[in-house]
Amino acid sequence: MNDQVSKFQELGRLMQERGLEMIIALMILIAGLFLTKWAIKALKTVLAKFIKNAATVSIIANSVGVLMLGIVIVASAMEIGAKPGPLIALIMIVVLAVIGVIVVFRPLIPTLPFKVGNTVKIVDLLGKVEATTILNTRVRTFDGKTFFVPNRQILDGIVINYHFTRTRRVKLDVTIRYDQDLLKAKQVIEAVMTEDSRILTKPAPQVYVLELGLNGVKLGGRCWVNNAKYWVTKCELQEKTKLRFDAESIKFAYPQMNVYHRNDLETNHRQENSPEVF
Amino acid sequence: MKLAEGLKRISEGWIIKPKGYRVRFQQLVEGELVTEYSPGLEDKPLDSDVTTWRYAWKLSKATQPESETILPGDLVNVTVVDDKDTMVNYYATGKPEIFNSKKK
Repeated sequence: MNDQVSKFQELGRLMQERGLEMIIALMILIAGLFLTKWAIKALKTVLAKFIKNAATVSIIANSVGVLMLGIVIVASAMEIGAKPGPLIALIMIVVLAVIGVIVVFRPLIPTLPFKVGNTVKIVDLLGKVEATTILNTRVRTFDGKTFFVPNRQILDGIVINYHFTRTRRVKLDVTIRYDQDLLKAKQVIEAVMTEDSRILTKPAPQVYVLELGLNGVKLGGRCWVNNAKYWVTKCELQEKTKLRFDAESIKFAYPQMNVYHRNDLETNHRQENSPEVF
Repeated sequence: MKLAEGLKRISEGWIIKPKGYRVRFQQLVEGELVTEYSPGLEDKPLDSDVTTWRYAWKLSKATQPESETILPGDLVNVTVVDDKDTMVNYYATGKPEIFNSKKK
C-alpha cells in the first residue's frame, strides 16, 4: 500500500516538474502521427500519377512514412528531455535489427504468389489483386465485387497468376458439317488468326482436325497472344470466324438426329420386296 | 529450299500484320474535303481492327450527312486504315468498306 502511495507521489512530483513538457510531447506525438498518415496518403495520390506500379508507390510512401514517424518520435522524446544522440542510435539499432531479421528469415516466410495489380484466379474468384495485408488479400472481380480472401486459404489452395507468363494460348474450336469444304474452313480459321495483329508469329497459328464427331468435323485453331490481350482477342477471333464463315458460305454443325417414321420404314420395306411388274 | 527459308517467305509474303489501326475520314474545311485520322497520326493507333471498325461505324452514324450535299461537321468516306495508311478489309466480309461514302 505504501509502495503504491509513494509511486503516486512520485508521479505527482514528476507531473509538477515536467507536466507541461510531457503534454507538449504528447501533442507533438499525436499531431505527428496524424501528419504522417495524411502525408502518406497524399504522397500515394501524387506518386500514382507518375508511377504506374502500385506496389512501388506503396513502398516509397510507406518508407517516407516510417522516416517521418521516426522524426516525430525523436522530436517528442527530445521535448521531455531525452538526448537526440542516444535516441537516434537506439532507433537505428532497432531498424537494422528488423531489416536483418527480415533478410535472414525471408526465405522461410511464406509469400503470396502474386503482386498487387496482378490478375489472378483464387478460390474460383477471377479478378485483380488490389491490396495484400498480413491477414488477407483484397481481390476485385471483373463484375465489380470486392472480396477479402484469407491468406491462409490462398496459401493452401491453387492460385492461377495470369501475369506469371507473358503469353497465353487461344483456343478457337468450331464444328462444321460433314458436307462442308474442310480445307476451305481450315484456311479461313488460319487466315483469321494470322491476320490479327495481336496474334504472335512464333509459335505460328495452327489448325487441327480435332474430332470426327457425331454432328460434324471439329476443328481447333491454336494461336498465342500476350496475356493482357487474351480475353478481347479470343472474343474477337470468334466473332471474325463466325462472320468469315458466313461470308464464305461455310455451314456450322449443330446437334441433330435423323428420325425415321415406322410407316415410312414399312412402305420402303414393302416396295423393296414387292415383285417387279413388267 | 530449307524449311526455315520457306517459313520466312510465308511470313514476308502472306502474314501482313499491321502495327495498328486508325479511322480515316474526310470533312469539309473551308470548302475543301480534308482527310483526317482518329486516333491522330501522332497518337498511338488502336490494336484491334474489330474495335476500330466499330468505332468507325459509330462515328459515321453520329455524323451522317442528312442531305446530299456535305455540310460542315459531316464526316464522310469513313473507313479503317492500318499504320501504313492502307485500307483494311472489313473483317465481317473480307472486302473494303466505306461508311458515309460521298464525293464532293
